[in-house]
Amino acid sequence: MATNKRGVAGWLDPLHLNIERWAYVFQRVTGLAVLAYVLGHIGDTSFFVGGPFGEGPSPSSWSSDLSVTENAFGHVVLVMVVLVVVYHGINGIRLILSEYGMIFAKPSRPDYPYKAKSLRTVQKHLIWVAIIAAILAALYTGGTLFG
Amino acid sequence: MADELALRIQRFDPSMEERPHLERYAIPLKDGMTVLDALIYAKDTLDHGIAMRFSCRMASCGSCGMKINGRPRLACETQLKDLRSSTVTVQPMDNFPIVRDLVVDLESFFSKHRSVSPHLVRKGDEKEQESPTGEYLMTPQELDSLVQFTYCIKCGLCSSSCPTGSTDSLFPGPQALAQEFRYLQDPRDEAREERLDLVDTEHGVWRCHFAGTCSAVCPKGVDPALGIQLLKRHVMAARSPFRRRRERKGAKVFPNPNEDLLRKD
Repeated sequence: MATNKRGVAGWLDPLHLNIERWAYVFQRVTGLAVLAYVLGHIGDTSFFVGGPFGEGPSPSSWSSDLSVTENAFGHVVLVMVVLVVVYHGINGIRLILSEYGMIFAKPSRPDYPYKAKSLRTVQKHLIWVAIIAAILAALYTGGTLFG
Repeated sequence: MADELALRIQRFDPSMEERPHLERYAIPLKDGMTVLDALIYAKDTLDHGIAMRFSCRMASCGSCGMKINGRPRLACETQLKDLRSSTVTVQPMDNFPIVRDLVVDLESFFSKHRSVSPHLVRKGDEKEQESPTGEYLMTPQELDSLVQFTYCIKCGLCSSSCPTGSTDSLFPGPQALAQEFRYLQDPRDEAREERLDLVDTEHGVWRCHFAGTCSAVCPKGVDPALGIQLLKRHVMAARSPFRRRRERKGAKVFPNPNEDLLRKD
């Protein structure tokens, strides 16, 4: 028999599904993006500024390192970093609260037409809070960098 | 609404073919027609070879679960007009092995259901467990807190929609975990610690990341995502160092509020 498991593609396909599933996909993607940024940042600051492959720690080496982001592409990258970090952080708090069962009503008898209680509580509002906060933070960052 | 529907059915015989393909059938539309009606028309009049599973035709048996236009649904309760499309694509449920066409093998699904001991466990007296000599009561409020989970018809839609299930074969899935919560919540059950140990594992309850799809697709109003999150809460409360300290002092941390109602020998 064919296994019919979609693998990682099964994680990343939220089409026709609920907003929590979209939030799940974004959480995974932004998590990887934040991880890539953090690794790059640590590598950048340790290896190139003061590490074994750099010229050693000094104000000039730090300034030259910072200059890498002092262009339009670098600014766009920084705006994207702010976007994904803010979304990932706020949505992560929502997930922590969910796992503690703190933002759900008690289970009750379902009434037709069925709408799952867990998908109607404050957790749904928190998804929108994460999205709006991330956009506002990115706009502010973009305004600061490009303004 | 158009007079004719283009029904695209995924066809696949794993013993003969390497990969699935879609076949298109023209179905004359009638008022009130469901996806199952369209499939039955196609099977009866256009292609007897279509393999599909159905029985009650009224969302009670859970046999006709399939992916309809990308979303897991019961074919018998999905009205064609609600899909608002002149083309409808039906595919077998994800996460289960395909036997043929729209038929999937649910053996692993049922074995996971059985693995959580989906029945009341009374300790100490095997005879009483098998042949109870009286009623074990609960209050209406307690019944309300778990009754939705007893409405599960085991159609498999929740487990087929679960993203964790697409990569982790050992994950019990939303159906089994929701049933675990149902019995954990039951004041008449005495296997609390065993149930918590069963789900507090590497492939257990922590593999759920609250995508909520299981609850969104359930046709019977069960909310597995809620049950699983509350199950996590039970596990964390049971593993809390504060709880262990209170236990050492002799306090009953999870007293049964209805002990007086429970039948005693």
